[in-house]
Amino acid sequence: MIEWIKYRRGLIIGIGAIILFAYWATTTYEPRVLASILLSGLTLGALYFLVTSGLSLIFGLMDVLNFAHGTLFMIGAYVGFTLYANPRLLLNTVPFVIAVVAGWLLAGWLPVKRIRTPGWLFWIGAVIVAMMAVWGFELAPLATTALSSGGRIPTEQAQAPTAIFVIRTLGLAVAGLIAGIAFLVGKEHAQQPLSAKLLVPLGMLTLALIIAPIRLSAEGWLLSLNSNTRFLLALLVGASSGAALGGLMEWSLIRPLYSRPIYQVLVTLGLVFVGTELVKAIWGPGGYFMELPEWFSRRGPGCPSPNLIAWLQDNCASIDVLGRPFPSYRVFIIALGLVMFIGTAILLQRTRLGMIIRAGVQDSEMVQALGINVRRVFTLVFALGAGLAALGGVAAAPFLGISPGLGQEFQLQAFIAVVIGGMGSFTGAALGALLVGLSRAFGDQIVLTGIQLPWMSEAMSFSPSIARASTVLIMALVLLLRPAGLFGKKE
Amino acid sequence: MSDVLLEVEHIHTFIGQFHILEGVSLKVRAGSITALLGRNGAGKTTTLRSIMGLNPPRSGQIRLAGEPIHGKPAYAIAQLGVGYVPEHRAIFRDLTVEENLRLAERRRGDLRRRSDFIMTLFPDLKRFYRHPGGKLSGGQQQMLAIARALVADNRLLLIDEPSEGLAPIIVEQIMAALRQMATETTILLVEQNFAMAAQLADEYYILDDGRNVQHGRMADLIHDHATINRYLGAG
Repeated sequence: MIEWIKYRRGLIIGIGAIILFAYWATTTYEPRVLASILLSGLTLGALYFLVTSGLSLIFGLMDVLNFAHGTLFMIGAYVGFTLYANPRLLLNTVPFVIAVVAGWLLAGWLPVKRIRTPGWLFWIGAVIVAMMAVWGFELAPLATTALSSGGRIPTEQAQAPTAIFVIRTLGLAVAGLIAGIAFLVGKEHAQQPLSAKLLVPLGMLTLALIIAPIRLSAEGWLLSLNSNTRFLLALLVGASSGAALGGLMEWSLIRPLYSRPIYQVLVTLGLVFVGTELVKAIWGPGGYFMELPEWFSRRGPGCPSPNLIAWLQDNCASIDVLGRPFPSYRVFIIALGLVMFIGTAILLQRTRLGMIIRAGVQDSEMVQALGINVRRVFTLVFALGAGLAALGGVAAAPFLGISPGLGQEFQLQAFIAVVIGGMGSFTGAALGALLVGLSRAFGDQIVLTGIQLPWMSEAMSFSPSIARASTVLIMALVLLLRPAGLFGKKE
Repeated sequence: MSDVLLEVEHIHTFIGQFHILEGVSLKVRAGSITALLGRNGAGKTTTLRSIMGLNPPRSGQIRLAGEPIHGKPAYAIAQLGVGYVPEHRAIFRDLTVEENLRLAERRRGDLRRRSDFIMTLFPDLKRFYRHPGGKLSGGQQQMLAIARALVADNRLLLIDEPSEGLAPIIVEQIMAALRQMATETTILLVEQNFAMAAQLADEYYILDDGRNVQHGRMADLIHDHATINRYLGAG
């Protein structure tokens, strides 16, 4: 019996603490207050989960502590918001990116093996061509949003004429091609045979060129869509841009440094600053607020919706929870978090890729020795984690607002959640995120009302930072009882 | 004399700044069991890891059926038909026995095709098919590690200390399995347990301090007590 208690000391203390806390919370707060605290906590928890799940998987599989994960979250928010409110910026820049990538891929079909010129010459050439292609291109006017210019943006302003745009696109494709050659020169690789695969870069190039003349009408079309459709598009585009950026980051910066882990940490740390400054340069240092789509914004008679099912029909901005209105958008965030949790869990448990990831978290070398190209899986997981974080960013935008500092705040709390849950454990990441979210919500409530224990004549008040400090407190407690975190196995 | 399947020529391997293998060479004939012997720290495990591409040699050559494989990444070497059973088993503890085996599939249906063979060799695995690998006993984990190398069509198996830390009765079982496996594949075996290696292997190589010392037919080594005492400890 004593042995049993000793062995499960952590569990017993944990359950005891939860019971005590639940008792305190139920006696202190009315049920409706408690319900709204819990729901707020769940909302935050869902957002944290989107960040922590990727962070934890990336650390578990590749031992990379990705400090830039919060930055990807923020960039997701900006890209999603841009598509939602000012698609012109994307329509005028994305074709360039597509053109560069298409050019880069095309290099694979060239007989690079016969080239004897050193690679660095090509790199210089690529930079020069790229500079010439974007010469005189102005980004700032494009980034002016409907909000800062008051209403709809005047469409003619700030867009280059189609001819110039096409020249820029082609120039960048050439730059990409030269850079692609530079990358392949002197490397052992097989020239791609002429096959249907060639259609991929060609198709991308065509797409980039097609966008050129239809930029104006495409923008008008996007803005004329109803806000719900635009919102879904924003989620999709934000998440996929985050995934693409994450994959690119792993491939270009993290991969060469697997033998030097300290450098990897420094690189991701550096990317935080680069990302933040880049965002400031494009979108300005100020913040934006993303409007809620129609699904979550109706006010007036009949609102708040009496329950979730009624909300499906009346789309009120809030839903009645035990007599208190609760914003319906936050319910959406909770649902999104839940769907992503289930989706990722299915991916991990039921697919071969998931099996490889779970095995790789334990011993990626052995996975490699079974004939599986783990490096490719690394890139995929990095992209997946980054995509989840960016999705979280888009989802957070209408709820928290968008600003260059959005990433850091989430990064720190997400790290705490990952440490609580245990590095590398998916379940742990989810539970840690939930705990951190709930403790933030309770912390906020405590700041509002203070704590009054039975023997106190008046409530003890706290400074607002208690909400943030509370998560650190939980982390310290968990680490005291379980040094590897709740579900951690790695040292 | 049958064909040489694996040829290692003067490989030098470093781990960090330590020069572990100083020109190791060996040949493994197709269809044989070759034992790699030597004291702890002689470089046996590093030799296997060099062949597998996990610690690529800095110089020297490794050829599989005449094709150079040194410098290739580990997964590419595995895909050429090399199975690896590492020291300390390295099974995936959180994955079930089935998942451990399924992960080793290189083509769809590999496991289905080989399942009967594997399950007759190691009936225990069938019994614990859906249990996590971490819940198996040491011997069962070793069986799983060997079974994992049998799922795909491997021409060559690199097996590192299969008897380590196991009860004699389990060692017997594993020996029987290895003997049966040797009828259809080639094995390079690292083994501290000389009695076991002596019963299984056709040929041997002895390493000492990262260098070749001696090689020949196992039948001759058994009577060479001086060599056994000198390089293999108490033997």
